Amino acid sequence: MSHRAFLVVLFAALALLPIVANQYTLFVGNLMMLYIILALGLNLLVGFAGQLAFANAAMYGIGAYGAALLQVRLGLSYWIAAPCGALLAMAIGTLLAFPALRLSGIYLALATLAFAQFTQWVLLHWTTVTFGAGGFPVPQPDFSSFGVSPDRGIYYVSWVVTIVLLAFAWRVVRSRIGRAFVAMRDREMAAQALGVDLLRYKAMAFALSGFYAGTAGALYPAVLGYVSPEGFDLFQMILHKAMIVVGGMGSIVGSVIGASLLVYLLEVLRQFKATQEIVFGALLLAFVLFQPRGLVEFLKRSVPGWAEPLHYASDSESPADIAVADEVVAGSRGGATR
Amino acid sequence: MLVLSYLLVTGITTGALYALVALGIVVVYKATEVVNLAHGELFMMGGFLAYTLHVMVKLPYVPSLLLAVAGSFAIGILTDRVAFRPLMKEGLVSVLLATIGISFILKGTARVLWGGKGDYLAFPPLVSPEPIRIGNVMIMSQQLVVLLAALAVMLVFAAFFKTTRAGKFMQATASNPRAAALVGIHVSRVYMYTFGVGAAVAGASAVLMAPLTLLYPDIGFALFIKGFAAAVLGGLTSVPGAIIGGLLVGILEQLAAGFIGTTMQDVSAFIIIMFALIVLPTGILGVRGIRKI
Repeated sequence: MSHRAFLVVLFAALALLPIVANQYTLFVGNLMMLYIILALGLNLLVGFAGQLAFANAAMYGIGAYGAALLQVRLGLSYWIAAPCGALLAMAIGTLLAFPALRLSGIYLALATLAFAQFTQWVLLHWTTVTFGAGGFPVPQPDFSSFGVSPDRGIYYVSWVVTIVLLAFAWRVVRSRIGRAFVAMRDREMAAQALGVDLLRYKAMAFALSGFYAGTAGALYPAVLGYVSPEGFDLFQMILHKAMIVVGGMGSIVGSVIGASLLVYLLEVLRQFKATQEIVFGALLLAFVLFQPRGLVEFLKRSVPGWAEPLHYASDSESPADIAVADEVVAGSRGGATR
Repeated sequence: MLVLSYLLVTGITTGALYALVALGIVVVYKATEVVNLAHGELFMMGGFLAYTLHVMVKLPYVPSLLLAVAGSFAIGILTDRVAFRPLMKEGLVSVLLATIGISFILKGTARVLWGGKGDYLAFPPLVSPEPIRIGNVMIMSQQLVVLLAALAVMLVFAAFFKTTRAGKFMQATASNPRAAALVGIHVSRVYMYTFGVGAAVAGASAVLMAPLTLLYPDIGFALFIKGFAAAVLGGLTSVPGAIIGGLLVGILEQLAAGFIGTTMQDVSAFIIIMFALIVLPTGILGVRGIRKI
């Protein structure tokens, strides 16, 4: 089965799900699509552009609160509020790219982590706007003119949005932009020497990822009918990271596989918070250690016809290259132990 | 005036504990160029180990402290063996993701083991809660004990680095691993002990802090953020910087809580991190970093 056929089958199955599903299964299917969007956005930023940022859950929350508050506080219709929420997340995501220009590696990771916690704090404590820790109910959009229930209606909206964003990501990584992302990830200096404008492409990566997370967020209140800060906490951060690592960093199909599998696992473990933390932590650790390129690498090796081009970091580097690089950067980390 | 002195004393006490957390982060970062994202969870585990030994097994405080520190040391070494040593060749992203994985495993484990007894566990105070008067300043005797103990830990730590063979190996490895290997230092073993020492300091600060605050599985990350704010304010590679940074974070958050509003206490660390990283990336005492290609 080729990787394209897999996507077609998966989305055909998702399209047919409402015919057979009860309300709960429908909800899980919808959640799966939300997380596919989130994983795609995060993978563009981390897996392709190589920016290790931790603000994805915050962007998700900003999208959700943006869409929900515009409806509840200003009485806007969902169809106006939702795009505004997604664009708000995209705008804030783009702003995050500016520190990213000065910071890299560990500093970027922790600055974005601090930003994510700051967002969480704002959602909890700016009670006059956000309703605080308890969250608030949001009316679901009305689909009665199409003759479907709100649950089914929003399900099909998510389905269309997910496919559009999937196709868009598919195109982006095969374009000039995607190649610039990969070059930037593998070696910033070299990318710059090749004419990649780092400011422009970093901003683009953060904007894209913010838009994806924001869109998933904007769908969230319509799917759940409720938003609260808990939905966008630290656990979401590890969840999104685990999805792209399990599926495969730098792979579009990997994002889809990782998100689908982990949402299923999340639902199985729904009752036990501690078990969820242990299982997702262990999954992340195990994949980083033993299968760092994710499930897609395994599929590519074992399924004939599975031919998604994967963009690994340092695939072409032979050990000799690394040794030379270590000689140049004398005293670099761990150089002496090899 | 009384309010201000109270805020300052509290700020210095909590600041001293943040300084210890920052110390662990800085020691590991200096040697390995990695921030252990599970550092806060090592702190949390140290606190729960001490709780188990002191409150549940009813050991006296000092042996519980020592055993909890030894336990954190062991978990720190485990972190090195599981996440750092096999992955340091793969690069920073892999190491960071692995340490996040470990932090959630530890957090979930703590929730399973200790979460059933109510979410927040109270650690009994060490001394009577009578305040002591020094000049015009009222200080809780509990705070005084914690402050002195934190100072003692810092001194032991400094002495360890300056005088012992292991401490000198660590300094040598941090300044140049290749040269350290050339003179016969077993670099990866030094990395392992560095992780262990960083964790042990976190464990010690957890045991000191436990009587002042409550213990809960999520405390690790909150403390990690504050320790990291302190470390970054001090330049991330400077041990004196970490201590000054810790005291500054402690005092600033108390002042923010006292004069702006109590909710500001939680958020000041995030603001300090974002401010420090963007405006002052080399910190107060850090050395300007050399950009490596």
